[in-house]
Amino acid sequence: MAAFNYKQEYQRYKKYYLNLVPLLQQPVSRAYTTIIFSFLAISLFGWYAIRPTMQTIFELKREIADKTDLNQKMEEKISALIEAQAVYQDIETKIPVVTDALPTTPDAIRALGQIQSLARESNVQLTSISVPIVPLVAVSTASGQKAGPTKVSDVAFTLAVTGMYPDIKNFLEGIVDLRRVTQIESMTFLLQRELSPEATQSATPTGTKLQVDLKLNIYYLST
Amino acid sequence: MKLTLRSENADRDLLLISVFTFFTVTLWIFFEVLKTAKTTTVSPTTAQIVTPLSPNVDMNTIQTLEAKKAY
Repeated sequence: MAAFNYKQEYQRYKKYYLNLVPLLQQPVSRAYTTIIFSFLAISLFGWYAIRPTMQTIFELKREIADKTDLNQKMEEKISALIEAQAVYQDIETKIPVVTDALPTTPDAIRALGQIQSLARESNVQLTSISVPIVPLVAVSTASGQKAGPTKVSDVAFTLAVTGMYPDIKNFLEGIVDLRRVTQIESMTFLLQRELSPEATQSATPTGTKLQVDLKLNIYYLST
Repeated sequence: MKLTLRSENADRDLLLISVFTFFTVTLWIFFEVLKTAKTTTVSPTTAQIVTPLSPNVDMNTIQTLEAKKAY
C-alpha cells in the first residue's frame, strides 16, 4: 500500500474545493447555508446542552415540590402518630376485647369451648358438632417474604342442638351475643316426636322439643 | 446555470432536512422534559410510609364488644 502523499492528493482534489468558492459567493447560497447551519447548530446544541440542562432544572423543581409535599405529609403523620399513641394508652386495657372478638389465629378449639359453654348455660343439648377443616394456626407467609395485608377468614362449624323452644331461643341469642365474631349462615329447625313431660302436661308449643341444625362461620384475622 | 439550479435544489433539500431535524429535536426535548416533570421522585417505600393514619378509635365498637359475652 502506497503512503499518503498529501501534496499529490491536494492537487487532485483542489478543483473541487475551488469550485465551491463561486457557489458560496452567491447570495442565495449564502443565505441557505447560514440558515441550514443555524438550524443544525441549534439542534445539536439543543440535544447535547439544552436538553440535559432543562432536564436537570425540571427534575430539581419536581424534587423540591415532592420533598415539600413529603415533608408536610410526614409532619401530619407524626402528629397523627403522637395522637394515636395517646389513644392507644387510653384503650390499652381494652385491646384483649378486640383480640377476643377477632383473634389472629383460627382458635377453633376455644370457639368450640365457647359454644359448649353457651349450650350448657342455655340448657340445650349439643348433639353433634363438626368442623370440616380446622387450620390450627393462621396461614403465615414464608420467611423472608413480605407479609400481605390482613384479611378476615372464617372457620365453618356445623352443629346440632336439641332443647326446648325457649332454651333454643336463648342459645341462638347467645350466639348472636357472643364476643367472638360469629355469623349464622343457616338454621334448620326440626320438630322432635318425643315430647317432654311439660309438653304432655300443658300441650303448649313451649313444651315441644326442637332440634336445630346450625351452620356457623367463625371469623379470625389472617395475613 | 445548470450548476446553479442543481445547487439550489440541493440547498432546499438540505434546508428541509435541517428544519425537520430541528423540529424533531425540539419535540424530543419537549417530551423528555414533560416526562421528567411528571415523574415523581418519591420512592414507593417512602410513599407507603407517609400514608395518612387516622388516630381515631371507634369507642362505640369497643364498648359494644365489651358488653358482649365471652366464655
